This record gives sequence, C-alpha cells and structure tokens, in this order.
Amino acid sequence: MNLVKRILITDDAVFMRFSLKAMLEKCGFQVVGEAENGAIAIEKYKVLKPDIVTLDITMPIMDGLEALKNIKAFDKNAKVIMISAMGQETIVREAIMLGAIGFVIKPFIQETITKAFSKL
Amino acid sequence: MSGDEIIREPMLEIYIFEATQLMEQLEEISIECEKNKEIGTEAINEIFRVMHTIKSSSAMMMFNNIAVLAHSLEDLFYYIRENDAVNIDFEKLFDLVLFGIDFIKGEVSKIENNNNADGSSESLVKKSTSLLKDMKETNGVIIKNDLSEKREDTKYYISSYGNSSNENKQKYVARIFYEDGCEMENVRAYTVIHNLKDIVSEMYHIPEDIIESNDSVELIRKNGFLIGFSTTAIKEKVEEELNGIVFLRELELQQVDEFPQELKALKAKTKIVLEDPEEPMESNKEEVPHINKSGKQQSIISVNISKLDMLLDLVGEIVISEAMVTKNPDLEGLQLDDFNKAARQLRKLTNELQDIVMSIRMVPVSMTFHKMNRIVRDMSKKQNKDVELEIIGEETEVDKNIIDHISDPLMHLVRNSLDHGLEEEGERLASDKPKVGKITLEAKNAGGDVFIIVRDDGRGLDRKKIYDKAKLQGLVNKPLEELTDKEIFAYILLPGFSTNDSVTEYSGRGVGMDVVKKNIDSIGGTISIESEIGQGSTISIKIPLTLAIIDGLEVAVGMSKYTIPITSIRESFKPKENEVIADSEGNEMIMIRGEAYLIYRLHQIFNINTKVTTSTDGIMVMVEDNTKAACLFVDSLIGEQQVVVKAIPTYIKKAKGIAGCTILGDGNISLIIDVNGILDR
Repeated sequence: MNLVKRILITDDAVFMRFSLKAMLEKCGFQVVGEAENGAIAIEKYKVLKPDIVTLDITMPIMDGLEALKNIKAFDKNAKVIMISAMGQETIVREAIMLGAIGFVIKPFIQETITKAFSKL
Repeated sequence: MSGDEIIREPMLEIYIFEATQLMEQLEEISIECEKNKEIGTEAINEIFRVMHTIKSSSAMMMFNNIAVLAHSLEDLFYYIRENDAVNIDFEKLFDLVLFGIDFIKGEVSKIENNNNADGSSESLVKKSTSLLKDMKETNGVIIKNDLSEKREDTKYYISSYGNSSNENKQKYVARIFYEDGCEMENVRAYTVIHNLKDIVSEMYHIPEDIIESNDSVELIRKNGFLIGFSTTAIKEKVEEELNGIVFLRELELQQVDEFPQELKALKAKTKIVLEDPEEPMESNKEEVPHINKSGKQQSIISVNISKLDMLLDLVGEIVISEAMVTKNPDLEGLQLDDFNKAARQLRKLTNELQDIVMSIRMVPVSMTFHKMNRIVRDMSKKQNKDVELEIIGEETEVDKNIIDHISDPLMHLVRNSLDHGLEEEGERLASDKPKVGKITLEAKNAGGDVFIIVRDDGRGLDRKKIYDKAKLQGLVNKPLEELTDKEIFAYILLPGFSTNDSVTEYSGRGVGMDVVKKNIDSIGGTISIESEIGQGSTISIKIPLTLAIIDGLEVAVGMSKYTIPITSIRESFKPKENEVIADSEGNEMIMIRGEAYLIYRLHQIFNINTKVTTSTDGIMVMVEDNTKAACLFVDSLIGEQQVVVKAIPTYIKKAKGIAGCTILGDGNISLIIDVNGILDR
C-alpha cells in the first residue's frame, strides 16, 4: 500500500506534539491533526478519521485511557498508540487490554518512533 | 527587533516557552495551596501533570538535571494523589516545590541565554526523596492500591476460537528477545500474549508474572520471553504475527509435539480463565469527567512577539504611506471627488487595522501581578511579618512592551512596602492596626493612561526625616515649610537616597527607587507618592497604554522637525521682550508667574542652523517630567498629531535627548524629543 498513513497526535504538551510530529513526518507519515486532551482527540478523531491516533496518558480534562475507551467505542478498528512514561506500566497494560495496538515510552528518539510505527 | 537575537532550533524554542509557562502556572498553584493550607484533587493532578510534562520534555532535550528533579517531585505528588488523607507538611512541601521551580526556572533561563544547564539538582532531589520517605512513614504505605493489582491476573487463556476444533491444533514454542534499551519489556510481553490470544487455544509463558513482578523485566532481558501455545492457525500466520512485534531483536519459533518441561509445569497448575476482552475495566483514575470540552482553548494561539513588532512596524508604514498618497502634493488643486471618497475609505480601514494590531499586543497585567505573590510569600516568611496581598484590576491591559518594563519596578515597590513600610506585629498592635499587614496592588484605566498603584497600610513616610536627609546631602535649599509633601517625597526617587539606616537582604541599599524611576521614565511614565505617617503610603505609577503610538506636538527648528510628546507639555507661549533673563553663567531663564524656568534652545542642543534666534521670534514650549519643568525654545509650532514611534536605528549609538523617530505624512523624518534626557542635562 503506498498510501501515506494519516496520524492524529494527542498530547497536552506543545513540546511533545511538536517533537512527535517532526519525527513522524520524518518517517513519512502525515500528521493530520493535533489534540491537547482526550476530549478534543475524540472530537477530532470523528472528523479527521485518521489511520492512527497517538494518545498521551497524563492529560487534563480527559486522560489517554478514557479517550482510548471512547475512540474504541466509536470505531472498534481504531489504531491507537499510547505515549507513556516509565512507571505507567499498569496503565499501559490496561490500554493494551482495551485495544491499543502499541505504546511508545517517553523520552523517545527518532529511532524509537521509526521502529514503533514502521510495522503498522 | 534587536538584530542580534539568537535564532534557536524551533524545538528548543518551544521547550523554553512551555517550560516557562508551566513554571509560572505551578508557582501560582503552589502559593495558593500553601496559603490555604489545603491541596485539592485538582491542584494535585495539575502539579503532577506539570511535573510529568517537564520530566518528559526535559529528558528528551537531555536536560537531565531538570528531568531528575521533576521526576522526584512527580513521585511525591503521585504519592499524595494516591493516598487520600495524607498528613502534609505544607510548609516543607511547598518550600521544596518552590525551590524546585526556582531551580528549573534558573536552568531554563541559562538555556535561553545559550549557556549550559549545568546546575545540580541533587540536593533538591535528596530533599524530595526524604520528604517522600517521611510522608510514607507517618502515613503508612499506599492504602489505595490500583484495582488492577488486586485482581487475579489472567495469565492463562483459552479463547472461544480455540474451543471450535481440536484436530488441527499445532503446538508452538517461541522465545522472544527484545532490543536493548526498549524498556518496559514486561508490558511488551503482555502485548504479545494479548495479541496472540485471539488465535490460540492455550498459552503458557515464562516468566509467569509479567506485570506485578519487577523481576520480570530483568528475566526477559536475560532469558527472553518464552511462550508455548497451541493454535489451529497455519505457521505463516503465527510467524507473521510474531514478526510484527515492535523492537523484536530475535525470535526463535519452533513447532513442537509436546511443550518443554518448564511450560508443562505451568500447565499442571493451570486455572482456566475464559477471556472476555470487552470486560469493562475500572480506570485507575477517579476524576475523568465525560465532557466534550473541545475547541475553547484552541481558539488561542501564541505568537512570537518579534512578529507582532514587525506587524506593528508595517502597519505604521502603511499609515504613513496612506497619508503620503492621499495628501500627495501632486493632487493639490485638483477636483477629485471619487478619489477622495476612496481615500476616505482607505483611511478608515487603515485606522481600524492599526487599532486591531494595537489590541493584539495588549496583555493583562495579571501575570505580572501574580508574580508578586511569590515575593510577598518569601519575604513575609523571612521577616516574620504576616502580610496579605490584595490584587485589584488584574484584567487591565497594557502593551506587551510596557509589561516587560514594569515588572522590575513593581517588584522593588512591593519589597520596599514589605521591608520598610509594614511594621512588625508588635508595633502594629500597639498602634491599633490589624495584625496582618496589607499590601494592595491595583491597576486601572484612566483615559489614555494606565495607573498602577502599590499601597500599604504601614508606617508611612516620615516627611521630616526625608527632608533632613535631603538637606544633609545638599539637595534642598528651601525651608521645610515651603515644600509640599509631593516635593519632599520625590526626593526618595533620587539616586543614592535611602532613609533606612539598616540594610536588609531585600532593600535599603540605596538602590531601588531611582532604578524604579529610571525604568518608569524609559516608558514615558510618571511616579507620584502619597503618604500619611502612621497610615501607610501609596505609590502611583502612570504609564501610557502603548509605546508604539503617541500624541505629539510637531515643532520646527530650522529645516528640521521634532515631535514633543503631548503628555510632557504643560503649555506653549510666545515670550515677550525682556522676559528672558540670563544668570552669571550665561544660562537663560524665563520668569513665569513668579517662577524661574531654565530655557533650552533646541537649535543649540542639536546644532541646527536657523534664522530664529531672538527669543521674541520663536515659541516657548514648557515641558515637565516628575520633578522638573523647563522651557524648550523652538522656531514655530506645526501642529498636533498621532505618530507611530520607531526606534532609532542601532547604528546610531546614543542620542541624548532623542527618544525615537517617526515618519511624517510627507515622508520626512521627525525626531521625538526625550524630555527627561534634555532636562537632565
């Protein structure tokens, strides 16, 4: 498939969104949207219908896990990658149980992103 | 604006911007919490989240000292969040948090100035760790565990898919090695079994406990993750599934007749759990409101201030060009009805554009005001004075450039009030005042100006003491009775003037008020002081709404044109013969209503050839700054108009008496007079 994969990035930190976007674009993905919390991610998911969504776990208003549940309820084939930090093992496992297809651990470098997303 | 601005990588730029913003936010929350001796769920989450963000971003930028500190503070607040009713030593906790904020702010400003962020956060991290330990000791271990930890783990699976037929089942054993440094190997292993469970009928793995046990990470790193499963799926499908694992370094996949002994042992004690993947999970976070609050915050973007400066410059040019076109001398005497109509429309639109650009640059003073909370907190603690800071009118807006200039002066004033103004508790009670001292910060609009007022209910200024001191320093030659309060209080604005004999950490070194005055002068503001002994003092700063556009009086001197800011003009008049007198040193003066004013001839100051040298031929413009007044002698007045202030190009080093320049409608340049600069000659 030579279609460019469209990605929605969710993170409350501008810095993280910026970094992740730059790295994903380097891998040849198209970042179609950014959301700063789970609630906005759900709204944007419905409109943009991206191929992949990244969800940060710790966010204000609505966290990543809650957003994952909602996105999955809306579209059970949604491909969600969690952006986590060390120490959030339990939450990541829960996310996997809820249908997240993978996760990335912060801090990440380009190589991490390339690997984590290349097999999608 | 400034040409030597360093161009940073956008990533670093964003990091600095966000870190600074988060620290401000955190500081505000912390002070609020400490003051109320209470920390709500929302505040805890907020602090936790800020620390979490700072940790991740800093780690990615390799600012490890910041990351480590943020991590330890995050741990601290994690503990507080997970334990409902902990006993918190607020003073200790927020001292630590505020020190942490200071450290991070310091490091970020180092980074901002292109220095190495080389500070060590070790001692703070230690403090944080020991505080966490103390808290754990006094409060006991985490009471409210994750729900998921209590639940019996689902280690073995028999899926509905597997129940269908037994004949075609194949047994496989796979050993998975992950790449070094991929982290969370146990969760990755969990992902594998989670993904496999849909196609397998039974599955066993080693290590068994891949989540709860911390050893599992090490074991997987050392021995790999061993899985045995039986499935009806063909081998290719199994291989494809397993090769899709992220960070896979090595995969050994074998088809076997019988599971090896170690896996069989697990089978013996198998407890079968029918997996229901849609089982509703309990979130381990309690506060996640289901609201669709989208859009609102996204309507705000942040823009680099230099872009706004550029925009303003451009709009200034447009305003001038518009005048150059519509008032073009070529058009004089022509009958141009349609042109004039179009020109009027253009003027209307350029005015609107100008207004909007100006309004974009307006920011509320609240941020600057709230910074004072921290100063009041730190100082009142150190000096053992109970102080309340009241903030009024924080939503008042002023130009961004002006905000930057009032922050330091305000800090000085608040410090002064707390240090010199407010009395010790005993003294306050003795003079029938409430125990808690009060400092009020107020901002308000009045016409084209903004007033910023710092008020305290302390001991007030001592008129006599200031006079004596001023006399001692040779600053006055009038008797005390002839001076108004305002005149006397103005002495404290002079360099090196301090009535306080004791120097404290915060103020009293004789620097301060004059620096405040200098800062305020530089933005065209004025200071006035009112005070009543025993009742307190009020210091009002009057500042213009914006630095970018001023009302000016256009004057001519020879062939040149100058603009004098209207705010500093008292009056203008034509001098009569013999009114001008000269003292023994040749300084010219003029008597007006019984007072003598110095005369500054602009053509002399700026070395300009003009025919108008006799005083009766020209015009006197009386100007004043805070304390002084004098007359400027010019050839003639041209008119009053709004001008867009432009900075003098940097290749002109220092032009005393010139505040900037502006371009006139006819394309000529007019220099803007810096009244202070001239009066200080």
